[in-house]
Amino acid sequence: MKDVMGVIYTGGSDARLRELTMTRAIAALPVAGRYRVIDFLMSSMVNSGMKKVGVIMQKNYHSLMDHLGSGKEWDLHGKNDGLYVLPPFLTRENVGVYSGALDALRSNSSFLSRSKQEWAILCRSDIIFTCDMDAFARHHVESGADITLMYTRNPDMKRDEYGSYLAVDADGTVTDIEVEPTHPNLDCTSMDVFIMKRELLRTLVDKGVAHGYHDFTRDVVMRLMNEHSLRVGSYEYTGPCWRIDSVQSYFRFNMDILDTDTRHLLFSDGNPIYTKVRDEMPARYGDHAQVSNSLVADGCIVEGTVENSVLSRGVRIAPDAHVKNCVIMQDGQVHSGAYIENCILDKQAVIKRNARLIGPEAYPIVIAKNVVI
Amino acid sequence: MMRKKTCVAMLLAGGQGSRLGVLTKNVAKPAVPYGGKYRIIDFPLSNCTNSGIDTVGVLTQYQPLELNAYIGSGAPWDLDLSNGGVFVLPPYQKGKSGEWYRGTANAIYQNMAFIEQYHPDYVLILSGDHIYKMDYNAMLDFHIRHGADATIAVREVPWEEASRFGIMNTDAEDNITEFEEKPKNPKSNKASMGIYIFTWEKLRQYLTRDEADKKSSNDFGKNIIPAMLNDKQVMVAYNFEGYWKDVGTIESLWEANMDLLSTPMPIDLHDKKWRIFARNPAMPPHYIAKGAVVSDSLITEGCEVHGNVSHSVLFAGVKVEEGASITDSVVMPGAVIHRGAVIRRAIIAEGAVVNAGAFVGESEGNIAVVGQNITIPAGASVAAGVQVDETTTF
Repeated sequence: MKDVMGVIYTGGSDARLRELTMTRAIAALPVAGRYRVIDFLMSSMVNSGMKKVGVIMQKNYHSLMDHLGSGKEWDLHGKNDGLYVLPPFLTRENVGVYSGALDALRSNSSFLSRSKQEWAILCRSDIIFTCDMDAFARHHVESGADITLMYTRNPDMKRDEYGSYLAVDADGTVTDIEVEPTHPNLDCTSMDVFIMKRELLRTLVDKGVAHGYHDFTRDVVMRLMNEHSLRVGSYEYTGPCWRIDSVQSYFRFNMDILDTDTRHLLFSDGNPIYTKVRDEMPARYGDHAQVSNSLVADGCIVEGTVENSVLSRGVRIAPDAHVKNCVIMQDGQVHSGAYIENCILDKQAVIKRNARLIGPEAYPIVIAKNVVI
Repeated sequence: MMRKKTCVAMLLAGGQGSRLGVLTKNVAKPAVPYGGKYRIIDFPLSNCTNSGIDTVGVLTQYQPLELNAYIGSGAPWDLDLSNGGVFVLPPYQKGKSGEWYRGTANAIYQNMAFIEQYHPDYVLILSGDHIYKMDYNAMLDFHIRHGADATIAVREVPWEEASRFGIMNTDAEDNITEFEEKPKNPKSNKASMGIYIFTWEKLRQYLTRDEADKKSSNDFGKNIIPAMLNDKQVMVAYNFEGYWKDVGTIESLWEANMDLLSTPMPIDLHDKKWRIFARNPAMPPHYIAKGAVVSDSLITEGCEVHGNVSHSVLFAGVKVEEGASITDSVVMPGAVIHRGAVIRRAIIAEGAVVNAGAFVGESEGNIAVVGQNITIPAGASVAAGVQVDETTTF
């Protein structure tokens, strides 16, 4: 797996995440009490033995850069290879903002050409899953396909007009692709994870950009597949996966991992998920704490009631506060006598004494960063 | 040629800690877990980092494997530096000789070459036996201000207990006039904390002299300090006020853990300006299941709690099954408490398994201890004060 590099594109639409992505990329969105969305992908790559990962930044990337740092937490800070953070930069041809993954890859083509790995895995950063990338790479090499696409039949993976879908024949060859259809017809959901020779990726990017294309799947892969000049294979991923692209899907992911079996699939012993460490002391529970079906991170002080919720590092729940079906990010506070239900509290949000805040289950209330209610 | 360092810290981590019984059978005392996610050595190492002392030699001797692995590159404490950092220093062969560390002073003597690389002005001597937060840099300033040859950190102990400690008698200007080891009739209640700062030039002379003295037991408290006092060197006592807990016995280790459950905590571990760093096990937040009852406890990453936990400290990855109950206890990393087991006033060491319906400890009496990786059979009982290891039969 030393011979496979990773390229993660962190652009992509975040409008439906509302306030949650005002100041950060989806990749840097806090999830599951102590992680960011990108941690799962980065950890899978590293746990599979990959030594070089490039992260293409698009916008709002300050918090993502802060999170990734030197790549140390993922052991990606070596002298050779390691983590490459690739923010947009101004060139004569490029005004700085990428108009899609193709454009972004083109701007970073020297990163691709200077790498020495034979294969490259290209993916986006808004899907949470953990996968043995080594098995994926072996499958690709053995199948003889030019490109292999990872897909899932997992019904939990959302099927809507924002995804891509595949038809796969008995040999695993992809025969049809739909990109952002109004109603998906094909039964395999693409995870937008591609593996191919690094040189092929470079060539495809150059060709695509030369023709004024923007979308890698639709304009390059689909087109060449239909012309029969590219053999596109497939690899089925059977574990749990979530696309985080709206407030609802964000909320659902956090609620889904309260289920012990699901959580154990995502956080298995052989696949530790690394993240930036904050060195908080263990969570402290008071005399009258009542907690049920919840995930609680270090640094929390819980003195009230918490049900079906995810509390990130440093959250304070005062005595007589009641939190139900909520996701509370780092350093959030719920004061005495407050009741909140179906809410997402962004970092450092504070719910003052006796406030009541009940969101509908299907449309949780988002309290933006630093807001006091 | 290394860049000069003003002060180099030497951490004596070679002691066996035999009073911790089965807990230090396979690990050195500084590597013993404490406070839900720490090891004892995290406190002096974090104190060094927070005090701006970035060059630390850790002298190991007894069961060093786990301690060495824990320290690793020093990255958790920001001590993985190109110039300085943390170094594990075991005894080594020299020419035709080669020997174990014979005493605290001898351990430093054998590593003079390590210290000399940095041409330090001062050397800070620490041990890995206590839980405390201390600004060593403030102590160094005090040492420099007093133009001292040696500064010894002291804290005031209750007079009735003073005869159990090494006591420093001082004058009004904090000059040490006399040192008495466990005096019958103490003249002062200032007990040495075993934390020293020496002006390196001076210490080097005394270490060399002490080494030449065949009758010396090569110990700081017994030999070096008395010799310097005898020669009227400038020796001052640095008063430390604040939480300081010896964790050298089963009872005191248990108490120190329980201290973190009182409100307010006697040692503030939430302090963002003085973080205690630790190696992170990369586990998800802990999960408290429906039907679990948790109160007055510390719980950390990777735990899954389905049973009852009250007034206890749970370390990373501990599993508590439904109907199990843990009270007034310390459960170390990865231990599993099965259905219906009852744990009271006990320390369950790393990786131990308490099977269904077993009883460990009692609601009063001494602390029961289950050693590392030991399995307690279903339905078995471990009485108060009993320590279980491989040789225990049920």
